Amino acid sequence: MTLFDACRIMAEWTVKVLIPVFEFQEGLFPPFSNPAGWVADWLATEGGLDTMAWFYAVNIAFMIGMTNLILVIHLERKVAARIQDRRGPMLSFRSLRELGEDLSGQAPSWKFKKNYSGIGILQNLADGIKAITKELIVPAKADKFLFTMGPIIFISSSVFLLALFPLSDRFAASSAPAGLMVIMAAFSIAPIGVLTSGWASNNKYSMIGGMRSAAQLMSYEIPLLLSMAGVFLLAGSFDPVVIVEQQQASTWFFGLPMWNFIPQFIGFAVFMICILAEVERVPFDLPEAEAELVEGWTTEYSGIRYMLFLAAEYIRGFAGAAVATILFLGGWAGPWPVPPEIWFLLKVYLILLFWIFIRWSVPRIRTDQILVLGWKKLLPLSLINLLIVIFMVEIYPYFTEIVNLPEVF
Amino acid sequence: MAEMWISMGPQHPMTHGLWTLKVKVDGETITDADPELGYLHRSVEKMGERRKYFMNTTLTDRLCYASSTTWTHNYVLTVEELMNVEVPERAKYIRTIMLELQRLASHLMWAGAYMPDLGHITGALYFWRDRELFLNLLEVPSGSRLLYNYIRIGGVKRDLPDGFVEKTERVFKLFEKRLDEYADLFENSKIFRMRTEDVGNFTAAQAQNLGITGPNMRGCGTKFDLRKNDPYEIYEEIDWAIQTREAGPGYSDCFSRYMVRIDEMKESIRIIRDCFKKMPKGPTLASAIPVRAQGEAFRRTEDSRGEALMYVVGDGTDRPYRWKIKSPMFTTISACPHYLKGYKLADIPAIMGSIDICIGETDK
Repeated sequence: MTLFDACRIMAEWTVKVLIPVFEFQEGLFPPFSNPAGWVADWLATEGGLDTMAWFYAVNIAFMIGMTNLILVIHLERKVAARIQDRRGPMLSFRSLRELGEDLSGQAPSWKFKKNYSGIGILQNLADGIKAITKELIVPAKADKFLFTMGPIIFISSSVFLLALFPLSDRFAASSAPAGLMVIMAAFSIAPIGVLTSGWASNNKYSMIGGMRSAAQLMSYEIPLLLSMAGVFLLAGSFDPVVIVEQQQASTWFFGLPMWNFIPQFIGFAVFMICILAEVERVPFDLPEAEAELVEGWTTEYSGIRYMLFLAAEYIRGFAGAAVATILFLGGWAGPWPVPPEIWFLLKVYLILLFWIFIRWSVPRIRTDQILVLGWKKLLPLSLINLLIVIFMVEIYPYFTEIVNLPEVF
Repeated sequence: MAEMWISMGPQHPMTHGLWTLKVKVDGETITDADPELGYLHRSVEKMGERRKYFMNTTLTDRLCYASSTTWTHNYVLTVEELMNVEVPERAKYIRTIMLELQRLASHLMWAGAYMPDLGHITGALYFWRDRELFLNLLEVPSGSRLLYNYIRIGGVKRDLPDGFVEKTERVFKLFEKRLDEYADLFENSKIFRMRTEDVGNFTAAQAQNLGITGPNMRGCGTKFDLRKNDPYEIYEEIDWAIQTREAGPGYSDCFSRYMVRIDEMKESIRIIRDCFKKMPKGPTLASAIPVRAQGEAFRRTEDSRGEALMYVVGDGTDRPYRWKIKSPMFTTISACPHYLKGYKLADIPAIMGSIDICIGETDK
């Protein structure tokens, strides 16, 4: 049973409850309450049921994405702290507890384990509350419309990504035949928001940050897509399900699965570097280089807008890791007893952990060096990878002795 | 983008203190720069003229928050010359030990502040973790962690306590091990070298003309260190060498300046170990210290950041008639247009961080 089928069943239950309610409302003030009857009629049709099912599916995907977001932020904080010889967020409730002791003169009724371990994840909640209660400042000379539109474009396009990648062949909010192309298109919307908010802030740091972002993304989209092209050629499809099935089907020596990062290790390396630049993490976080540009294009933003910028960046990181998993690490493929969704998330978290280690152990690269790296090194490498894949696909019949590739062309 | 002026500071992550750097950029390339100082001016020199000679050590401690002992020492040395005070031999050794410990703490403070400039926050925490070790060592004889007020006119406040040598040796062993680890993280890192090599270049001749001294000058390959060239305390009797590096023939870049400081830290450890070996027993404070002074005195010492000068004029009373401080960073920051022009906007933190700014002593 797929996610959509489950949602469909839930939608049927919901409709069974909702239709009598709407019909009851229709009978209350007959000429004026007729629209309630129209809604009841529409819900009874196939289209109404499907819409309801999509609504459920997308919401489930969103909830899973948001839960993962909190976990990723907590993981980043904890691992960064351990790398830096710290402990990271630990005791979120301790101050409250001590306050309760002070006020009442005795220990509060709710108690925790002695060492308070594992409560640090509530730091995210505290940060969220703090961000919501802060003032949303709009600079006096900013372009107010674009200043508001920038975050909307950036954040909505990032959250949109959550609905696009499947956790397994049965657990997907959307299953488009051109799924990965849609994901990359959604990735490419965000720079517009960055450029818009950078320009509209009427601040030199913001503007330079926005310009840098545009330059960086322009130079990194091309090697990124070229390194993905090798995978598409091998699978013969843009569909994540087909790509993962192709990786599961192809075997190597001793019947081991040959995921794409083995034959296309050049493409894998190029992709990992480019996606790091695409989600703007260290060492490629130039648009918000805090040493020289204060906070880059987010300098003038405050409160929940700034918080959502940060959250959207983590969502983009999560989505980037998911794309890397689908393309090169065999997606949800894995040994039986663990469900495929868990395998998928495990691989995604492995990539994220790798990124966290990179982030906290290397300095930032300079703008011109990033452009040189993108145009002079990664672009030729991705073309070489493409050539290798074409060569493999062309002479595939001679490889059947040792490599069992599926028939694609 | 057309040419525009960007004002970095007084509140900016790059500045390391209160000052403003106005840069003119053409796109991302710097075409002009204009440093503005004076935000932290506390009129230390004038305040000193209203206080007695021995009271001024509290002011000199506060000249530089990263390297306070060296400034106090420079003042004390000048006043001792003015008053003709003979310092006991053991006090000279203890002073040298304290100066080198302070140099280590100051260079570690600099290295920790330099890493976030390059976008490497972990480096800051690593170096500041090690600075704690040396602050603990400085705390043992002096009793405080930031403003020591340990070196007094005629000697030092008190003798080194028991077990100080062993404690120091433990810290050195740990620190030397960690320095080797950091070499992998920084010096051998490709990205670190990409960011620091061949940026912020200036030649040895430029350094001499513009008054850039200290580690920044030794980063050009110039073998000049006041501890050797104009020796004070017991640096003549100690076995050590001037550390120099150069990026190319006769010029320095950010990486050579970084390496000079790392080498100097290793050399400081060598000096302190030699001091422990040769230290005699005896008193640590001169018996008769005069209160009044007549005449003028002028001493220069090798501060953690370069050549520090003090000039004191006494008119026979117990307070200085005129007190002049020459800070090494004042000239180095003033020369910044010479080594900023032509580089990228993203290089500004890397370059300005590499010269080790301390605004406290610059603005006085």
